[in-house]
Amino acid sequence: MRLLLIEDDQEAAQFVLKGLRESGYTIEHSADGREGLFQATEGRFDLIITDRMLPHMDGLALVKFLREQGVRTPVLVLSALGTVDDRVQGLKAGSDDYLTKPFAFSELLARVEALLRRSVAPDNSPTRLKVSDLEMDLLSRRVLRAGREIELTAREFKLLEFLLRHAGHVVTRTMLLEGVWDLHFDPQTNLIDVHMSRLRQAVDKGFARPLIHTVRGAGYVIRDEDQSA
Amino acid sequence: MKINPLRTSAFRLALGYGVIFTFGVSALLVSIYLLTKTVLNNEIDAVIAAELEGLTDEYNRFGLNGLADELTWRTDSWGRTGAVYLLVDSHLAKVGGNLLGWPFAGIPRGRWSEFYLDARGTNDEQVRHPVRASVSLLPDGHRLLVGMDVNQERGFVSTFRTATLWGIGLTALVGVLAGSWLSRGLTRRVQSVAETCDAIVGGDLSRRMLVTGARDEFDALAQAVNFMVDRLAEKTQLLRATFDSAAHDLRAPLYRLRGRLEDTLRDPNADQSVRERIDASLQELDHVQRTLSTLLEIAQAESAISVAHSTPVDLGELASDMAELYEPAARQRQLQLTVRKDTRCEVRGNRQLLAQLLANLVENSLKYVPAGGHIDVEVEQAGAGSRLIVADSGPGIPESERSHVLQPFVRLPSAAASTAGTGLGLSLVAAIARLHHAQLALEDNAPGLRVVLSFGSV
Repeated sequence: MRLLLIEDDQEAAQFVLKGLRESGYTIEHSADGREGLFQATEGRFDLIITDRMLPHMDGLALVKFLREQGVRTPVLVLSALGTVDDRVQGLKAGSDDYLTKPFAFSELLARVEALLRRSVAPDNSPTRLKVSDLEMDLLSRRVLRAGREIELTAREFKLLEFLLRHAGHVVTRTMLLEGVWDLHFDPQTNLIDVHMSRLRQAVDKGFARPLIHTVRGAGYVIRDEDQSA
Repeated sequence: MKINPLRTSAFRLALGYGVIFTFGVSALLVSIYLLTKTVLNNEIDAVIAAELEGLTDEYNRFGLNGLADELTWRTDSWGRTGAVYLLVDSHLAKVGGNLLGWPFAGIPRGRWSEFYLDARGTNDEQVRHPVRASVSLLPDGHRLLVGMDVNQERGFVSTFRTATLWGIGLTALVGVLAGSWLSRGLTRRVQSVAETCDAIVGGDLSRRMLVTGARDEFDALAQAVNFMVDRLAEKTQLLRATFDSAAHDLRAPLYRLRGRLEDTLRDPNADQSVRERIDASLQELDHVQRTLSTLLEIAQAESAISVAHSTPVDLGELASDMAELYEPAARQRQLQLTVRKDTRCEVRGNRQLLAQLLANLVENSLKYVPAGGHIDVEVEQAGAGSRLIVADSGPGIPESERSHVLQPFVRLPSAAASTAGTGLGLSLVAAIARLHHAQLALEDNAPGLRVVLSFGSV
């Protein structure tokens, strides 16, 4: 996986570069908007991470230009502008995700993984999702664990579906809030944790091997621990 | 705003001018009519008077027989058209002249009298002609009547009167038509000004008034408004740029700080006590970030004229979604969270901002309502608009504090000590409400707080 980071703040760029390299990605860096655009149009990257305020070229203009050129590479915009309006503008310009600075590195990593997975997995509309002995049928809207039916509310179903679509990968609380509730702000209370604990009650209670795991300082993941270990 | 054409000042002005104009023209035409009528009558009277005088002279010189002969002669030979003569004795019996008999019931009083005469028309039909006459008493008791058939004159006057009335009617009609045409033109221009203003207040700062180049008062108005909007757009732009650079300048160091802390945390050599201290610092940082975000959101909402990216938002649906999101948290605190909603309460706005507003209100209640209490979210239709209400059974806000808890960083003394918070929650609620042109009211829920947001019609 080859990533491109366009960011003019050298120190901040170093943290991102270091973190992503430690996580196993090959990443190149450009500190200038125009130069970054040239590299991005070459089409050899799987993901572009760009700052919004760049010398010589605005990050959003860069995304727009890429899209007009037919470059479909996923773009993640990092920005110090984080109001609801700024976000809408960012997504309208053609970016795939928008992250407000400062963010926890785990948040960035989870989103990078999700974007990369989306671009390599062409089948975005499976009818069944499965992890270990947990099965979800998206057509009949039924969930089975070890052959036994699990009763879920509509929202719990959506929450589990989101986890299953990212099976094996960490999803953050903000990603859940965005993906399941379509809300783009941070509630002050630990709402997601309460909802997750209810989902866990339904899915994992009474089974020897729990499937939903909390990842400290990052979020949640659904996976079969034995397989991954 | 739609302008009712009948209530415009342009229409009233046109109507006023129409009335004055019609009145003036009427006065002119009626004077001409009356003057013409008088002149005609005077002329006739003068002819009759002259003839009566001449005939009386005849009588004085040649006596009654001379007068009778003269009458016969005048009637038979050169008499003027329409002339009427009658000489009667003291018993009103005819002595001479071309009238068949005395036309009056008695002796008419006054100098001038009128009667009708049966005559033969041009096609030999029976017609009644008006006759104006004067009677003179001769010294021997005979009476001489000299008259004139005034049919033609009366016809002329009547035609003149009809023409005058038509003239007045047409003037009024033309006045009304021209007035409404003028006022429609004016109203259309004012309407376009009002519509453009509405669009500008609606948030479209790129709209400008049409300047036609006619250099009239509307162009002057349009230029003044355009100038104002230019300044407003400039100010908004400047404010926006200021917020953006403030956001950038404040967040960049926080971003680097966070990077450094996280980098240290990932260092495998860092020992446990260091990790714990860094964790605590990161939590503090989260708090700072949250406060900063809220402040920037408030600043942006307060500086904007209207909601950008607005769409129809179903308030009831939003309330249900938010209640569903907060319900587990409420239950954890042993609070009852309920939703009551009318169908179809739609407002135009930004769903994210409205969700945030509702979240802030519910979170406030979660913070302050003691266990066992309740939080009720209500969405209802109110007139042409909708109302969103969040009511709780908490301690409420004393009336004296209500106006200033909406200001940034103001927290109730009782709250500051017990719970964590930025003190910006209600300020953001107020800013978002204002942005949506909604009225925000804090009321007593007896006991508790009742926050009422009234949205106008869509």
